[in-house]
Amino acid sequence: MERISRRHFLRSTGVAAGLTVTGVRPSRTLAQAGKPYAGTRLKVSQVSHAYADGLLARLPAFEQQTGIKVEIDQMSFPVLNQREDLELASGSGAYDVMQMIFIRSGRWIGAGWAEPLNPFLDDARLTDKAVLDVGDFVAGAMAPFKRGETIYALPWLSDSTVVGYRTDLFEKAGYTKFPETFEALQEAAAKMHTRQTAGFVTEDNLHWIFPNWLLSYGGGFFTNPPGDLTPTFDTPEALKAAEMFTTMLAKYSPPGGIKLDPSVAQAIMHQGKAACYLDGMGNTQHIIDTKKTTLADRMAFTHTPRGPKGHFPQLAVHGYFINKASKNKNAAWELIKWAAGKDQMLWSALNKGHLACTRSSVLANAEVRQKFTWRGSDLASLHLAVMKRAGEGYMVYRTVPQFPPVGDRVIIAMTAIASGQTGVADGMKSLQKDAEGILEKAGVKINRRS
Amino acid sequence: MNSRGRAWTAAATVLLIFVVLCPVFFIVQMSVRTGLEAFRMPPTLVFSPTLQNYVDLVEGKFVRSLMNSTVTATSTTVLALLLGVPAAYAFSRARFRAQGVVSLWTLVTRMAPPIAFGIPFFLIYKELGLIDTRVGLVVIYLTFNLSLVIWMMRAFFDSVPRSLEEAAYIDGAGIAAAFVRIALPLSAPGLATTAIFTFLLAWNDFFYSLLLTRSEAVTAPVAIVNFMNYESWEWGKVAAAATMIMLPVVALSILVRNYIVRGLTAGAVKG
Repeated sequence: MERISRRHFLRSTGVAAGLTVTGVRPSRTLAQAGKPYAGTRLKVSQVSHAYADGLLARLPAFEQQTGIKVEIDQMSFPVLNQREDLELASGSGAYDVMQMIFIRSGRWIGAGWAEPLNPFLDDARLTDKAVLDVGDFVAGAMAPFKRGETIYALPWLSDSTVVGYRTDLFEKAGYTKFPETFEALQEAAAKMHTRQTAGFVTEDNLHWIFPNWLLSYGGGFFTNPPGDLTPTFDTPEALKAAEMFTTMLAKYSPPGGIKLDPSVAQAIMHQGKAACYLDGMGNTQHIIDTKKTTLADRMAFTHTPRGPKGHFPQLAVHGYFINKASKNKNAAWELIKWAAGKDQMLWSALNKGHLACTRSSVLANAEVRQKFTWRGSDLASLHLAVMKRAGEGYMVYRTVPQFPPVGDRVIIAMTAIASGQTGVADGMKSLQKDAEGILEKAGVKINRRS
Repeated sequence: MNSRGRAWTAAATVLLIFVVLCPVFFIVQMSVRTGLEAFRMPPTLVFSPTLQNYVDLVEGKFVRSLMNSTVTATSTTVLALLLGVPAAYAFSRARFRAQGVVSLWTLVTRMAPPIAFGIPFFLIYKELGLIDTRVGLVVIYLTFNLSLVIWMMRAFFDSVPRSLEEAAYIDGAGIAAAFVRIALPLSAPGLATTAIFTFLLAWNDFFYSLLLTRSEAVTAPVAIVNFMNYESWEWGKVAAAATMIMLPVVALSILVRNYIVRGLTAGAVKG
């Protein structure tokens, strides 16, 4: 080890003391001062997405500026779920920066697999807070990744449920605007539904779609998450919501409407086979892709309908986090700052069509607003409004560690009811019983109701 | 059969072939359509084909995945045959204690679903540094395919009369010479069939490739899934990739189709 001379020690101590007394702080971060991470190799795992394509497009500039070499593994969402879970559970440090999957955040953060970001955020040598501007992330997008004041991930994707619909078909059925309640939507779907054109279409991730109805009718997954996780699928409100929702699937969806992945649901809209499509903004926005449809000039977008208890659009958020087992945490932070930074997000919105973004400044940007205004529908404002609404706290049920298995069981229940295998009451009773079993097996204390 | 009967048979055969090959036609035609054309209803029979989906694949990482599939499936097939065929011959010809038990134990890797072995293999591979390597994939494919080779080839060797090898022994041939010069050539159809099956199992594997690779050694079946983007699926690329995955197998099957038929029917009419 290099010896420190007495003179060197005294000089350094003096400078440090002087800086402390005068309150002078280093004005430049380490990365700005040079290339402290030059030669570091980072591996990133994330879902195949236009945002990742945007990162790849601008990666050479980042690599040149920092000297860090980055490899981004893009994979489909089912593969990402499986791979990240396995890598984290096995303590593998193969990936330095990983995608924080919204519904798995409770488990991953709870298990200590994600590095807290506050020490990086609060270190002036590592972060220029004014440039990163954490306050610019919409609260609804940040909420799933915070535990108290501790931040575990920075969000880059937020999917808000909205509706894309055919204005011509609704006008023909006598509607000058999209129905504002689920009851009215059902009436409209009944009027419009034919063998050629379905009244309604959605995707098959039913634990993501059903809560739009469930919460709006006063129901919920759990009694009071995250404190009391007793399932509440057997309440009258949940039963009513299930009846309304499964009726839409069974009666007013295209053939096979229970099991349509997002791209097929989009294709159905592209071909003019359905009057409206309810899904996340990231999916819904593609129905006006003029490379895939000639009907784009008949589409518009609006909020999801409300129920008797209010309007509860859903929000799914994904972020970047540092793998606890990573050996290159500082360099990983440097990458996350850049990847979720204002500049990158704005560039992606303008050049890669990334509307489902998480920063207020990007959604307020005039160019972005103009780009994403379609036939009078201001999609950026629509998305921002949902994010703000979801930030009020009702989405917390999706981030409890036990949500994924319960959510999977919800899909089975909705499919069984919509396909006529079981009635609403029996299907929901069975769901309640199984959900209680899942939670008890996971060691969660609940007040069993079944 | 009269001419009318032959005509009906021919028509039914053509119809059956069309029905069986319909999914293949669908995938191939979709691979040369644009996004707008891919799902047009009713489908248009006349359209301007495009090779853009293939160009995108070649410019992306898919070729590397295809190469990984080729290398791992070929290596697995060659190694499985090199190790498994002599073992099968030994099981067929040798007589030793507990032969039946040993023979049965070679099937142990196929006695449980792949997922049962998945996590243990992942943890062992992680320690050995074999995750995301072609060698790692070859080893695991070999583990599961060796028993298949042994059991398939043993049946073929059993059908070769021992008297032929005994005649060779009288002429001074050793066991190795009898195996290489007599038994092996007579079992060529079986060898081709076994090779094809081994190749197909390794070529089409999804589970272990998904579990044990990250980016460097990803094979084509896993790579194709990654065209299912979060926002929408790239159907054109999926179709083009599926066509590219099918081609080598189809070519190989056509090349050795006579052997396969003879191999599959060997012993069927033995009295």
